[in-house]
Amino acid sequence: MATLLILLPLAIIMVLNLPFKDAFKRAAPFLGGCFYLLQAALVVFHPAAFWDDIYNPLEAFFAFECSTDALSLVLFLSIAIVGFVAVLVGAHALKNPRQRFFLINLLLLATVGMNANVMVTDLFSTYVFLEVTAVASFILIAMMKGEGALEGAFKYIILSVIASVMMLLSLALLVLVTGQTSFEAVRAGLGASPESLFVKMAMILFVCGLFVKGGVVPFHAWVPDVYASAPSFVSVFLAGIVTKVSGVYILMRLLVSVFGFEASVQQVIMFVGALSIVVGALAALAQRDFKRMLAYSSISQVGYIVLALGCGTPLAVAGAAFHLFNHAVFKSLLFVNAQGVEERCGTTHMEMVSGLGSRMPVTGWTSVIALLSTAGVPPLAGFWSKLLIIMALLNASRYGYAAVALFSSVLTLAYFLSMQRRMFFGKPHKGMENIREAGPVIVGVEIILAGITVGAGLLYPLVLEYFILPVQRVVG
Amino acid sequence: MLSCILLVSIVVPFFGAFLLPVLGRVSRGLRPISALAFVLASLACSCLFIPSVLKGETVVFHMAFPLGLNLSLAADGLSVFMAITSALISAVIILYSFGYISHYENQNEYYTMVVLFLGSMMGLVFSSNLVFLYLFWEVTAVASWRLIGFFRERGFVQKADKAFLVTFLGALAMLLGFILLYRQTGSFDLSVVREYFQHAPFPGVVVVLVLAGIFSKSATLPFHTWLPDAGVAPSPVTALLHAAVLVKIGVYVFARLFVATFPLDVRWNEAVLIVAALSALVSAGAALRETDLKRIIAYSTISQIAFIFLGLASGTVVGLVGALLYILMHGLAKAGLFLCAGIVEQNTHTRDITKMGGLVKSMPWTAMAFLFCAVSVMGVPPFGGFFSKYMVIAGALGARPLAIVLVFLAGAVLTILYLLRAFNAVFMGEAPASPAKEGSPVMVGSVVFLGLLSLCGGVFIFYPSCFAQVAARQMMGAW
Repeated sequence: MATLLILLPLAIIMVLNLPFKDAFKRAAPFLGGCFYLLQAALVVFHPAAFWDDIYNPLEAFFAFECSTDALSLVLFLSIAIVGFVAVLVGAHALKNPRQRFFLINLLLLATVGMNANVMVTDLFSTYVFLEVTAVASFILIAMMKGEGALEGAFKYIILSVIASVMMLLSLALLVLVTGQTSFEAVRAGLGASPESLFVKMAMILFVCGLFVKGGVVPFHAWVPDVYASAPSFVSVFLAGIVTKVSGVYILMRLLVSVFGFEASVQQVIMFVGALSIVVGALAALAQRDFKRMLAYSSISQVGYIVLALGCGTPLAVAGAAFHLFNHAVFKSLLFVNAQGVEERCGTTHMEMVSGLGSRMPVTGWTSVIALLSTAGVPPLAGFWSKLLIIMALLNASRYGYAAVALFSSVLTLAYFLSMQRRMFFGKPHKGMENIREAGPVIVGVEIILAGITVGAGLLYPLVLEYFILPVQRVVG
Repeated sequence: MLSCILLVSIVVPFFGAFLLPVLGRVSRGLRPISALAFVLASLACSCLFIPSVLKGETVVFHMAFPLGLNLSLAADGLSVFMAITSALISAVIILYSFGYISHYENQNEYYTMVVLFLGSMMGLVFSSNLVFLYLFWEVTAVASWRLIGFFRERGFVQKADKAFLVTFLGALAMLLGFILLYRQTGSFDLSVVREYFQHAPFPGVVVVLVLAGIFSKSATLPFHTWLPDAGVAPSPVTALLHAAVLVKIGVYVFARLFVATFPLDVRWNEAVLIVAALSALVSAGAALRETDLKRIIAYSTISQIAFIFLGLASGTVVGLVGALLYILMHGLAKAGLFLCAGIVEQNTHTRDITKMGGLVKSMPWTAMAFLFCAVSVMGVPPFGGFFSKYMVIAGALGARPLAIVLVFLAGAVLTILYLLRAFNAVFMGEAPASPAKEGSPVMVGSVVFLGLLSLCGGVFIFYPSCFAQVAARQMMGAW
């Protein structure tokens, strides 16, 4: 039944595009929003009938298998939250009903790809759905046809294609060695010939492809351009979830279910993760545009997820999953803040706005909550995931990496405090006195996301016990 | 029953703080009153533990959560003493704020953050789980960040950021130390950690990491520069943060971890004392040179904090009792000094002592309160500060190298010099051209109250010292 999460959005897209009256098409945001709410509810209330039933209607037509576990649940919830936010904010920001309609279709299409990626258990399907998500994302970035956005979309396409080629090549090599593409078969095949050069090549290629998709240093160059030039509601979706699923989650899944944690691979992944943390944070310090800063912050936070993943212990992977969820929430919140500021001030350049805290109190305060969660200040949710990651790193005796991860939080806090000082926490410049709070939709979304961050932080025993720690069982 | 009260004393101010903006919307007058009520409720709850502490019992509250991230609280002598001290001083400061803050913007934020600050302070002193200790520690940092930048001038916010970043860096080092302890002992609970280290040597790297956190929070050399800079905050905030409560967090955690839980050996204690002695001298020297009234008092705080470390690291009961009393007496007197400085600043519109003078005529009550608090900080009998300073030095004498104690004595002499200099410059001498008037009754009342408390603390030293002795014995019991 869980495959409904793939079929349902696909069905919604199809129905929406039947030649009905325009009035029906106007319901697109509503349908999209409902779908994401349904997905979130299915995860939170966890009806056994839905998740345990292995009936897969797709299997009858296509040769691919699905399975869900605790890790998938974390991802489904993240996708649902970010998707819901993107639908609300996008539908609010786009006044033209046609554009709005396209937006919802594209969001749902990308969601089809992501939900499928979370579930599939074979490499070729993984590749196919990655492309589905990527294609939808290209169009989302370029949708508003701004000069910067077209350039960003172009960069993303080029790099994505390079990543695809790498992954496809890797797939070919793996098929050559193992003869099959399902996770289990490939894993068994790899176990039979662990020292094969082909296998090593294939692993490196696939992992590098995923690094490009996830925007990890040194493959990060496209990230700031794309996030900063895309409309904020698209950046919410891209930064919050798309790059996390198509880069980080798949890496997670492959390491856990296919490649296994081999020492040399671990070393590389951890190094790349730590590098991303530091480089992303240092670059963020130098930014003058809010959205570019958020993009670099995203690179840095992905670094935490990748670093924890590379550590490979069950606790570390659980921490990585938790941080992925938290990142989805707080980074979406920050991009929604950016959307609010952009709407009211016409810019997100940090030198051009000031003292917004008094003019836009909700936007100001929710951005404070999001930044504190990003920096890992307790009792917000981001603290607990970082704590898990650092505990896991220390338990695995990775002292150096633990110290890097921990003390980079100071850099995170430093760039966000400088953002606060310039944009929110200060006196308004001339001409800023008449700025009003963002519209009710933006404010509502900000409050919901801040509520999730605070709530997950305060109720951490429940969140850990029922949602995060079960992820440990997925590993080993 | 009592263990639930423990929870109440934290929850009421911690979550009540966020009700204040809502209450402020109902009625403007309700907001400060309820802020005071939350703090007083916390004070009352803490006082309920006095009988059990005097009997030598420890009230505990424990809820087990995954991964050892347990919510465990404990009210023993040390924590109840700190809780009562902090809540009492905070209550007076909030009372003073009624007058001080009434004509500024952002009062919602002000009261929310002050009460949140006190709530997390309560949480911090009652926590007996290292993660919760860290959690509340950081919440106080967030609250002080907002409060230091309260006036929102660009330079002020920069200084607020600086304070946040310095203490955050220290706190992260401390957190790393805590997680290393967890790795070794398998628990964040202090009781378990204590059991473990009765039979095992305590790792030195953890000492260094935790000390970095402690020194950054209590503004000890070399992490001290944020404290004088933070003087740009509203005066009640400086009083709360920099005199009475925030800087005591570091001292408290030192007492909690390195005296009551896993006592440091002599070499570490002496190393701490050398840092503290340097800190006392350097900051006293800086206080002598400063001309900004609030910066003088802030440097004085750095210097006085060192004396508390002297008592705690002395390893004697007398020194410990002295250190605890020092926390109380210094809190009362220093809060009084900052609040007096606030009255002076509001009415003369300057903080530069070279531009003031003769204020004793126009502000007799403030002058009297300032003098009382100042002599208490100097350590003149019969004020409270005398007894604490005497006991701290008496405790250290003989137990620690004489040279260190002599440096502290020099620091004590400097204290007298810089405080008299400040008093002279502000209140004595020729009055400047523009006459200043006395502050509002509620503000003057608060500082006079603190001045009198400093005096009473000395006259009735018997009661607090009884309590402090019980607490100190309890702490030493873990040796």
